[in-house]
Amino acid sequence: MNPEAPLRLLLGPQRPVVNFDSALARSGIGDGPIGVISAAWQEAEGDIDGMQRLVKNPLSDLHLYQKTEALFAADTRLHEAYRQRQERLKEQQRLYRLRLRQLKIAARVILRAEGEPSVVAAERRHAISQLRALDQHHLRQVDKIHARFDKGFNVDCHDLLADHTTSLAEALSQFETLLITGGNVVVLMNRLRLFGLGPQLRRKNIVAWSAGAMVLADRIVLFHERMPQGRRDAEIMCRGMAIVPDTVLLPNASGRLKLRDSLRIGLFGRRFSPADCVTLDNGSYLLFEGGNLRESEAARRMTRNGKFKRIRAA
Amino acid sequence: MNPALRKLLRKADPDRADVEALLRDLDFPLVDGTDVTFVFRGKADAVYLRCWIAGLDTAQPFQALAGTDLWATTIELPKGSRIEYKFEVVSHGNKELILDPLNDVVARDPFGANSVCQAAGYERPEWTLHDPQAREGSLQSRKIESSVFRESREVDVYLPATFRKNRRYPLLVVHDGVDYLRYAELKIVLDNLTHRLEMHPVIVALIQSPDRLKEYSGDNRHARFLVEDLLPFMNDTFPLMDSADSRCIMGASFGGVAALHAAWRYPEHFGSLLLQSGSFAFSDIGRHQRGPVFDPVVRFMNEFREHPGRPADRVFMSCGMYESLIYENRSLVPHLQSKGVELRFEEARDAHNWENWRDRLRIGLSWVLPGPAWMVYE
Repeated sequence: MNPEAPLRLLLGPQRPVVNFDSALARSGIGDGPIGVISAAWQEAEGDIDGMQRLVKNPLSDLHLYQKTEALFAADTRLHEAYRQRQERLKEQQRLYRLRLRQLKIAARVILRAEGEPSVVAAERRHAISQLRALDQHHLRQVDKIHARFDKGFNVDCHDLLADHTTSLAEALSQFETLLITGGNVVVLMNRLRLFGLGPQLRRKNIVAWSAGAMVLADRIVLFHERMPQGRRDAEIMCRGMAIVPDTVLLPNASGRLKLRDSLRIGLFGRRFSPADCVTLDNGSYLLFEGGNLRESEAARRMTRNGKFKRIRAA
Repeated sequence: MNPALRKLLRKADPDRADVEALLRDLDFPLVDGTDVTFVFRGKADAVYLRCWIAGLDTAQPFQALAGTDLWATTIELPKGSRIEYKFEVVSHGNKELILDPLNDVVARDPFGANSVCQAAGYERPEWTLHDPQAREGSLQSRKIESSVFRESREVDVYLPATFRKNRRYPLLVVHDGVDYLRYAELKIVLDNLTHRLEMHPVIVALIQSPDRLKEYSGDNRHARFLVEDLLPFMNDTFPLMDSADSRCIMGASFGGVAALHAAWRYPEHFGSLLLQSGSFAFSDIGRHQRGPVFDPVVRFMNEFREHPGRPADRVFMSCGMYESLIYENRSLVPHLQSKGVELRFEEARDAHNWENWRDRLRIGLSWVLPGPAWMVYE
């Protein structure tokens, strides 16, 4: 492994077709042991026998979810503070959503508006800039909530948290490569953050799919337009690990987004630019080496006019 | 008329074998686009289709088909419709209501069973059927000593398959809960929607009244029972989230009235409502025409319409287009919206029955208790 240019292998959902095994084999990561982070599976964390049968690399789960549960059971003050933080984040998200809904409605109307081109164009730009300003404001508020929690609860003043963090750091040091599965992205991000794993992840080769890939971006964007209770506008949840910068990763985009609605897709792309909004559907494959895209398959990028462009390595 | 039936009748003298072949080869009732033909075979003085659909005659006469012992009638049913019906067979002055002998599709309810006509475009939703992939939640029976009714009341409690004592869950209170289990497949639906992450894992209190027409008609005792007996019992016994926005009450028909009434009386206790074909009868002037059992309902609804308050933050309502209650349900929508309630209203081409309520559960439950699908990227 080249520590200056670790590999990042990003994949889409592993259903219906599994491709993490073939992707791993062609990536050049080798046959060494791999540490697995399957915290996003929550209660099913560590259920990796099926994955192990597909690859030669010995897999070993790091049990972040179970460690967190044990930590909370033992340190009730930490658990209570964590719960309060989650309540604050929930409230912040709710208020953001209320404002976002109105701005999105206005932006869509303005994007459809006809009239004197220079007048309409200025209003369109401003409508999108308002969305981006709200997203930025929300991120800052979320940062503040996390900062308040981190100030009161860090490894220096909580022995158990320090013990877990140290043992995890030791466990991580045994692996050149980590595999991060999909699942609940909020649960996953919260565990990675609690144990402060960002700096260590940065130095490893990483194979990640779906939620596992989303946390590597600099912003985590939640999206789903096909829920039974109706569609919901895409929302920023929080900052990610910023290991794959300037990218918004969209697993199972074809199942969750209305990709043919060019107005919505165009708005999506422009709202998050200059970051690239990249689809990761089943079978997708993106391999970065030291920040440069080396190989890609079936991943697409949203364009400003609401279309999709296949991503190709330079 | 159905082409095969017409062909049979064109024969000068259709014999018994022709009739039997027709009955054997076709699915009844006969659905041809929006035309649906019901067929009865047998001796009778008259036959009627009884389907209790607002907008259609309650008794649609059949015609005897010449040269055969068949009777038939055709009605127009818009695409996606689903109706329940019986045949009324009149013979020697006796009237008998029977299921359609040629149709195996039957819906059950507390009063028995009805035949079901599924018009073109209707399909039973697959999420109402047992999914072997979905882990099953559990049911347990509990007794509550009610200080309000001064007797013990049974409540069935559903716990999701992923239930853990150290987690906290929202509470869903279901009026006519046992009927929802029996006739609307509520347990299967809860298991499936939870498994698909479309609804939040939830603890469900399934209540059943011994006198629902009275207690569910806007009776203050029932609202007090929910708040003073049921909620404390559930809070003491199960790990529940402790806020109004994690409590939902639901009900159909008079159960919908009971849910709305309790939330109206105690708005600080319940964050959301799921109301199906609520019997929300009211009168703008003069006396209502629905019979004395509706008197307390009308009193409550008139008062509610005068002073709606804000009974909940989030409400899901559904009603069949073929119910007489569609007018009252549609009327309630702007009342609630004007108070800032986040409301979703679904109409269906169906009537006042349990399978209509079953088929709307996915949208309703995912609206009032949304699941984590939003956050899960597998």
